[in-house]
This record gives sequence, C-alpha cells and structure tokens, in this order.
Amino acid sequence: MSQIEIADISKIYTIGDLNIRAVDNVSLKIEKGEFLSVVGHSGSGKTTLISIIGGIIRPTSGRVLFEGSDISSLNDEKLSEYRNEKIGFMFQFASLLPILTAKENVLLPGIFSPKEKSGAAGKAEEYLNMVGIGEKTNAYPSQLSGGQQRRVAIARALMNEPEVILADEPTGDLDEETEAEIMELFKRLNREKKVTFIFITHNLDLARQAQKQIRMTHGVIKEI
Amino acid sequence: MTKEFTIFSLALKNLKRKPLRTGILIVAIGLLVSVLVFALSFVRRVDSSIRITSDRLGSDLLIVPTGSRGAAEDVLLENKVKSFYMDKGIIDRVKNIKGIDRLTYQTYLVTITGVCCDVPETIVVAFNQDTDFVIKPWLTKKLGRELKKGEAIVGSESAFNIRLGLTEVDSVLFGSIFKMVGVLDKTGTGLDTAIFIDDKNIDEILQKGKANIKPGQISVIFAKVRKGYDPYEVAGSIEDSIIEADTVARKDIGKGLINTLRDINRIFSATVMLASILSIFLVWAVFSAIANERAKEVGIMRAIGAKENHVVKIFFLEVFVIGSIGSILGIISGTVLSLLLAKTFIILKNLSNDLSIAERISIGILSLFAGTGICVVGALLPIQRIKKLEPLLAIKEE
Ligand SMILES: Nc1ncnc2c1ncn2[C@@H]1O[C@H](COP(=O)(O)OP(=O)(O)OP(=O)(O)O)[C@@H](O)[C@H]1O
Ligand SMILES: [Mg+2]
Repeated sequence: MSQIEIADISKIYTIGDLNIRAVDNVSLKIEKGEFLSVVGHSGSGKTTLISIIGGIIRPTSGRVLFEGSDISSLNDEKLSEYRNEKIGFMFQFASLLPILTAKENVLLPGIFSPKEKSGAAGKAEEYLNMVGIGEKTNAYPSQLSGGQQRRVAIARALMNEPEVILADEPTGDLDEETEAEIMELFKRLNREKKVTFIFITHNLDLARQAQKQIRMTHGVIKEI
Repeated sequence: MTKEFTIFSLALKNLKRKPLRTGILIVAIGLLVSVLVFALSFVRRVDSSIRITSDRLGSDLLIVPTGSRGAAEDVLLENKVKSFYMDKGIIDRVKNIKGIDRLTYQTYLVTITGVCCDVPETIVVAFNQDTDFVIKPWLTKKLGRELKKGEAIVGSESAFNIRLGLTEVDSVLFGSIFKMVGVLDKTGTGLDTAIFIDDKNIDEILQKGKANIKPGQISVIFAKVRKGYDPYEVAGSIEDSIIEADTVARKDIGKGLINTLRDINRIFSATVMLASILSIFLVWAVFSAIANERAKEVGIMRAIGAKENHVVKIFFLEVFVIGSIGSILGIISGTVLSLLLAKTFIILKNLSNDLSIAERISIGILSLFAGTGICVVGALLPIQRIKKLEPLLAIKEE
C-alpha cells in the first residue's frame, strides 16, 4: 500500500460562467519516504494539487487515500486532525500570524493537537535553531525579513513531526546559500526520519535534487 | 522558560492588538451592567422594604384618620415625621365590626428640638402595652419586660441619632424626663427611627401642654382579622360604618409607592433593554469587523490543523474576557452608584431597609450573566460565519 494514493482527482473552480480545471484527472502514488519535486508554469495547478493532498481543499471529484483511507470522506474534525498531525504545510505566501512571535508561531500547530505538550517550547526553539534563526525566537514577523519568515514557517511545519511535508516554493525568496541549507535539512529529515517530501519549485536545479520529479501543465501531470 | 502558549494566550494576544477597541467594548458592557445593577438594587430595595414592613407590622388592617393613608404609610415605610389624629372612641366602634379579632392602637407625637425636647426631630410612638402585638416582639427580645412609666426605648436608627448607644441616659420629651432603657433591634420598618413610650405617659404629656395633641386622640389602629374573614370585606364594613376612618389592608400597604415604583421599573427596563440592544449591536459590529480582518489568519490556523471548535473557542474566549471584565467593572460601579445615589434619592434615603450582602451578591451574579450573555449573543453570528471559512481560500485573500 502506498502512503498516499490519489485517484482521478479533478478540481474545478467556477468564476461566474467560467469553469477552470485547475487539476484535471490526476492519479498518483507516493510511497513513504519519497522525495518528490513538482515543477510547472504559473497557474498550472501545483498549489491546488498539494492543497488537495494536504486536506486543505476538497477535490471536485476523485479520491485521496492516505494509508489506505479516503480523506475526502472525513468530517471537519477528522480532516483537521489529519492536517494537524500527518501533514506539515509550507505555504507559498507569508503565513505567519502577525501577533505571535516566531516561537509562538512555531508552537501554534501544537495547541491544536491533543498530543502531550510538555517540552513544546524547547522543541520549538530547537527547530528555530535548526533553520538558523535561533536568536530571533521572540521577534514578531514584522521584525523579520521575508526569508526569515519563511524559515519560521518551515520550523512550524516540522513542529508536530508530520509524516508528510508539503512545501509550496519553500525556498522562494532565500539566497542560494540558505536555500542549500534548507534543502540539506529536508534531505536529512527525509533520510533520518523517513518523512515524505513533496515540494514545489520553479528552480529546475533544485527540482533535480529530488528522487522523483513531476511536471504539471494545465492541471495534468507528467512524471519525469 | 516563559508561560506556556495556549489557546487562551492566543485569545488574550488578539484582544491586546487593538486595545482601544477592546477597551471601548469593555466600557460599553460595563456601562450597561452598571445601569442594570443600579436598577435592580433600586427596585429590589424599595420592594423588599415594603414587603418587610407589611409583614412585620403583624396586622391585617391599619385604621387611620380619613385622608391620612398617605401620611401613615410615610411614617411606617419611609421614616417621615408626620402626625395625624382621630378620636379614641373609634377603637370601640372598630371592635364591634364583624370579623375583627383583636386590635391595638398607637399615638404618634412629633418632637421639636429645643421647644419640647432635647432629641432631634422624630416620632414618639405611644403604644398600649396591654393590647400591643406590633412592638412587643422586639421589646420582649431586647428588654425582657414591659416599659414602665417614664421609660422609653428607642428604635435602632434613632439611637444612632441621639448618639445613645448606651442605656440609662435621660432625655427630655415633651417637658418630662424619660429614662432611655434600651435600643430595639432593627425592624426594617419606618419605626426604626422612632422612640417608644407607654401610652400611660400621655396624660402627663397633656398636662405639660408641650405636645401638639388634644385629649382622647390616637393616630392609628392595628387590627387582626378573624380566621375565615376576608380583610378587604372587613375593611369595607369599617369604612362604611365609620366615616372618620380610612383603612389600609396589609397587602395594600405601600401600594402608592409600589405604583410609582412600577413606573420607575418600566423606565429602568426600557433603558436596560435599549442599552442591551445597543450593546449587542456594538459587539456584533465589532466582531463582524474582526471576522473580516482575521479571515486570513483563521484560514492559516485551519490549514495547520485548527478545528472549527478551536476557532470558535478562540473567539468565544475573547468574548468572555470582554464580557466578564466589563461586567465586573459594571457591577462595581453600579454598586458604588447605588450606594452614592441612595443618599440623594429621597425615596431611597427615607427607606429604612438596605440590601443584604446576599441580595447584592445575587444581583451581581445575575448581572455578570447578563453582561457576558449579551456579548455572546452579539458575537454569535460573526463567529458562526468565521468558523465556516475555508482554509486555503482564506489564505489567498490578501
Ligand atoms: N480560489 C480559486 N478560485 C478560482 N480559481 C482559482 C482559485 N485558486 C486557483 N485558481 C486557479 O486555478 C489554477 C491553478 O492555480 P494554482 O494556484 O494551483 O497554480 P500554481 O501552479 O500553484 O501557480 P503558481 O506557480 O503561480 O503558484 C489557476 O488558473 C488559478 O487561476
Ligand atoms: Mg502556487
């Protein structure tokens, strides 16, 4: 059994009379511990696809199986738990809460989780160190650069120790050096903890570092 | 390590981000609750004062000189110093009315400082100890024996006025020296400010001529009605056969005051209603704005695993904090207001009965629920809307 199996997924957005097929009949199997990159033109449906996998949006048709069970049939409660515990999501756009410090932002997924919370603060600091901004734990997002905010978001995605990390252009506005560090971190987590990685990028060199690459065009996928 | 980060600390941080807006909401709820507390205390106080008085007088009917109903109630309910008289012969005529069980009477004398007496202006109640059932319960408890001629016992608040506190002090009343033999417990009636003497003293007072009273006069008759008789019917037959007398049934004591009170009550209710609606509207408007402002943040929280319940919890915690802080401030200011204004409202100043701690606490609890409840009602719709926000859609909305 694959860890994730998506079968005949379509997502149609309707704007007025216009139907946009953001994802068009996609089927895909992802094994546990896979390291996967997704490339494609802007508007090709990359974000939509990983959002469906992450249980953030529901597909118009088709099924998403996580470890054999269909997440599109889950109620709000169970689907939220899935997002909280199984998935670590890094968004394409700034996604930190402005009223929370870096550390509190990292702690945020933890307060929605029923898991034991002792040691959470220490763990948050550890992850912030790991992404290289250990000295900024008490800074607010407005006091951080775009790249630093992105690293906080990465630490936040790691916080609940998810089985799958979905990263939407995670190194988008980072310099090459930091980009390389982040990729190393991803690879290490993938190697050591068997975390499955799916990341979207516009950087083909980066995409090539993945074991498996997917190209999207007009909502359709092609494995490379 | 600092404090643990929880949903509650998130809610508090949300409230702190716009302190002015949060402050205005708290003040609005505070004002509403203080009006509520004040209104409740006022109505409750007048109401219970009337009830206590009619219960404690222990009589079914009051018989007073024609036209003196109001004056009698003023004396009994409101501590006012007034006198009114009727012929003593009325006692026997009332006795003969069918349905009367037992009766007693009192004569009210007004003291005038310096002229007749060395006490401040008050009412001296001359009562008949052989027949009395109104004063006796207090007298027995305090003195344990009957009052002798030349002795007086003072009401709980009157004692304060004469700065007595101690017994065995002599005072001049209507030219005669009276020995103050004690202080009665608080009765909660208007008689708390009076001084009590036996009516055997009346003859001597008449002789000295310093009281404004003629021989053979009394002020009020208290009557108990025989079992099985309707007090109203008995009152009716008294008024039919004795034109010199008016009657007040126990249930009607303070009726005039109650009617006035009812109007005040209506004004209060309308004010509280309007203020509540206004507050609900204000909370609704503020939380609708908050819902729009935070749509993106809610979307992020949902995307990283917040359940609908978590979102609802965060917002309701904010509502509860605003509601309860506002209510507590309102309860404090409303109570202070009611204590301060009690001194300026004539109707309250003259009432002898104050609210007990238990009554104040229950008014406080009621108001806390009302204040918080209003916040919840106002925020209900916006919170319903916000919990249904889609995770990702919300994130894209910049
Ligand atoms: N909420 C929405 N409502 C309507 N149309 C949408 C919505 N979200 C995405 N789309 C459309 O769906 C298509 C796919 O969008 P998506 O965001 O998945 O693209 P993408 O591959 O991630 O692009 P980019 O590289 O620019 O991030 C686009 O045509 C977009 O306009
Ligand atoms: Mg995208």
